[in-house]
Amino acid sequence: MTTTIHPPADGAAPESPAPAPAAAPAPLSQIRSWHAEGTFVEHFPDILGLLHRLDDTARASVGQLIARLDQDEVVRRHPDTQRYTVAITGHSTLDGLIGPLTGELARHGLLLAPELSAYDSYLQDLRDPQGPLRQEGTDLVLCVLDAETVSDELPSPWRVEDAEEILAGKLRQLTALLTAHAAAGGAPVVVNTLPLPARLARQLVDLRSRARLGVAWHEFNAGLLKLSLEHPGVLTVDLDPLLAAGAPATDPRMNAYARVRFADGLFTAYAKEVGHLVRALTGRTRKCLVLDLDNTLWDGILGDDGPEGIAVAGSFRGEAFGAFQKVVKQLGAQGVILAACSKNDREPVLDVLRTHPEMQLREEDFATVQANWRPKDENIREIAARLNLGTDSFVFADDSPFECGLVEAALPEIAVLRLDEEPALHIERLLADSWFTVREVTEEDRARTSLYRVEAAREEFRSEAGSTEEYLAGLGVTVRFSPPSGHEVIRVAQLSQRTNQFNLTTVRLQPEDVQAWLDDPERLVLAIRSTDRFGDNGLVGAVFAEQREDGLHLDNILLSCRVFGRGIEQICLGALLRAAADSGHTAVHGHYRPTKKNARMKAFYPDHGFTAVEDGFRHGLTGLDETNPMPEHISLDADLAGVPTPH
Amino acid sequence: MDISTGTTTTTAVPTTEQFIGILRDLVGFPVGPEELDTAFDQLPGWDSVYLLKLVTSMERETGLRLPVARVLEARSLGEVLALVVVP
Repeated sequence: MTTTIHPPADGAAPESPAPAPAAAPAPLSQIRSWHAEGTFVEHFPDILGLLHRLDDTARASVGQLIARLDQDEVVRRHPDTQRYTVAITGHSTLDGLIGPLTGELARHGLLLAPELSAYDSYLQDLRDPQGPLRQEGTDLVLCVLDAETVSDELPSPWRVEDAEEILAGKLRQLTALLTAHAAAGGAPVVVNTLPLPARLARQLVDLRSRARLGVAWHEFNAGLLKLSLEHPGVLTVDLDPLLAAGAPATDPRMNAYARVRFADGLFTAYAKEVGHLVRALTGRTRKCLVLDLDNTLWDGILGDDGPEGIAVAGSFRGEAFGAFQKVVKQLGAQGVILAACSKNDREPVLDVLRTHPEMQLREEDFATVQANWRPKDENIREIAARLNLGTDSFVFADDSPFECGLVEAALPEIAVLRLDEEPALHIERLLADSWFTVREVTEEDRARTSLYRVEAAREEFRSEAGSTEEYLAGLGVTVRFSPPSGHEVIRVAQLSQRTNQFNLTTVRLQPEDVQAWLDDPERLVLAIRSTDRFGDNGLVGAVFAEQREDGLHLDNILLSCRVFGRGIEQICLGALLRAAADSGHTAVHGHYRPTKKNARMKAFYPDHGFTAVEDGFRHGLTGLDETNPMPEHISLDADLAGVPTPH
Repeated sequence: MDISTGTTTTTAVPTTEQFIGILRDLVGFPVGPEELDTAFDQLPGWDSVYLLKLVTSMERETGLRLPVARVLEARSLGEVLALVVVP
C-alpha cells in the first residue's frame, strides 16, 4: 500500500512523486489501519510521531480522527499526554477548524482540547468576564474573523462610505475589547487579518470607490497588526501570506449554505500557523537547522564534479541555489543555528565554504560543519551533543530521500524537510512551516551562530588533541591582564553579577562600585581578557586587590566558566604575586567565601602556594617558581604598574 | 479512485465500499453498509458538521462537484451517495 497523495495545501507547486519506502507502510496507511482495527488510542504516541511525515491535508484528516477520540481515555492510556485548551470564537461556522488544528497541535506533541463557542458569539464572548474565553485553564483564545464580519453590516445597496465607517468602527470596537481582555489577564488572543474578497470589492463599479475600499480595508488590517505590537496578549495572524501562497480563501457554496467562511485549505493553513505560534508560546521553538550540501545548498556533487563543477550562480539552477542560500543565511542572522551535514571529505567542503566565489553561506555562518562518511543520524546526534541542544529542536533538510528516510526513522523527533531535485522549490519547502518562530529576536540571538561556532570548533580541537598539554599548546591562548579601560567597567560589573562558579567571594558590584575601586589609589582592579586560535573570548575575568595595614589583600578573583581549564587564573595570579614581590611586599593575603556554587574553588589558594591562616590564606612570596610556575602555553601581556607599594 | 491505494483523484462515482472508506478515514465517522439507509436523525452521533466534512472530502477524493444545497437536504448517507453523479 502507498499513501494517497494530495496536492500540497499551500498550492506551491505539484509535488514530485514521493519515493516509495521499501518496507514500512506509508504513514497515512499505517495510521488509518490502526484506526480501522480499533487500536488508534493504543498507538496515539506513534501517531504523533508520524504526523510530521504527512502533508497538510492528510494531517488535517488524521486530526479529524484524533478529535473524535475520548480524550480522557487517551490520557489514561498515555499519562504523559499534554493537553492544550483552546477557546475558539468567531463570526461563522468554525467546526471545520477543529480537525486541522487538532492535527497541527498533535504534530507538536499536544492534544487539543477545543472549546468552541456558539456561532457568531465573538463580541459577546470578548465582553463577558465570566464567558467561555475567560475559563480557568484556557491556554489560548482564537477569535476567527472573516470578511463577513464587516460585510454583514453593510446596508443594501451600499456605498464605499458605508464600508469605511463600518471598518473604522469595527477596528475601534475590537481594539477596545481585545485591550480589555489582555488587561484582565486572559489567555493570549489570536486574531487574524481579513482577506478582501473580489466578490465584495467588485460590487463597486467605479475605480475610485474600489481604491477607497482597498485603503480602508488595509488600514483595518494594519490596525489589527498594530494591536499585536502594542499588547503582548494579542497575536495577529496575517492571512495575506497564507493566501498568497495559494490557500483558497473561501468556498462560495459552503459560505452560502453553511456559513462556513473559510475554505478547508485556509482552515488548514491557519491551523498550521497557529500550531507554530503555540510552539513558540510553549517553548518548543526549533533552534537548529541542519543542512545537507550537495544538491541542497549548491548545484552538483562536490566529490564528483569538483569545486569548479558545482554552482550557486551563473545558471538557472545555480541562481536558485544561490537564492536558497540567502534565505538560509537570513534565518542564521536571526539566531537559527546552522549546521552542515554532508557525505563528503572534510577538506574540500571547507575549501568551498572558504574560497568558492559564489557561496552566499560561508564557514562562519555554520555553528559546525560535519563533512564525513558516517551515517547522518550519527552526525546529527554529535551536532546536538556539541551544541548542547536536544534533537527535538532540530530541523533537517536534504534532497536525498534515502538520507531523509534514515533520519526520520532514527530520530523521529526531528522535523525533516524533504527537498528534491528542483532547487526552485527549496525555499518554499524550507518556509512551508514556520519552524523557527519566536516572539522576539534579541541581539544575543543575532550573534548566536558565531558563539556556538567558536565553542564547537574549540570542542572539536579538544577532542582531536591527544592530551591536555597538546590541546593547550595548540590552543594559542593569549591573555591581557591590566586595569579595565572606561568602556570595560560595565562588563567587569556584569561579570561580578553573573559569575558564580569561579567567584571567590561573590561580591556583586555595580558599575559605579567598580569605578570607585578604580579611583582609589589603595585599591586595584585588573581585568583579564583572553583570545585563542578560535577567536576573541573578550573580558573573561577580574582581580580585586587592596593595600591594607598588614599587606596586600586579594578581595576577589572572578573568571568566566567559558575559559576554565586553560591556566589563565594560574598565570594571572603568578604575575600578580611576582609584581607584588617586586614592589617590596613580603606577603599577599587571599580571601574565599563559600557559596552553593563556588565550592570547587575552595582549594584555589592552597593549590597556588597559599597557606591557610586565621582570616583566609597567606602567601609569603618565596619560591614562586616552585609554587607558582608560569604556564608556558600562554602568552601574557600584563600591565601591573598599579600594584600599590607597601606602607 | 481507491482511498487506500489511489494516488490521484479521478472523476468517478465512488463504490459503496469507497464511500464507507471516505466516511471512516476522512470524515472520522465509521459506518457499516447497513447504516447507509438509516435516517440521519436515527444515526447515533451524526450531525451536520460531519455532513459538511463529507462534502469536502468527497469532492477532494472524487474530483466531482456535489450539489451542496441538495446534499444538505439529504436524509441519509445513501441519499448523499445517490447525489454523486458524473456530469
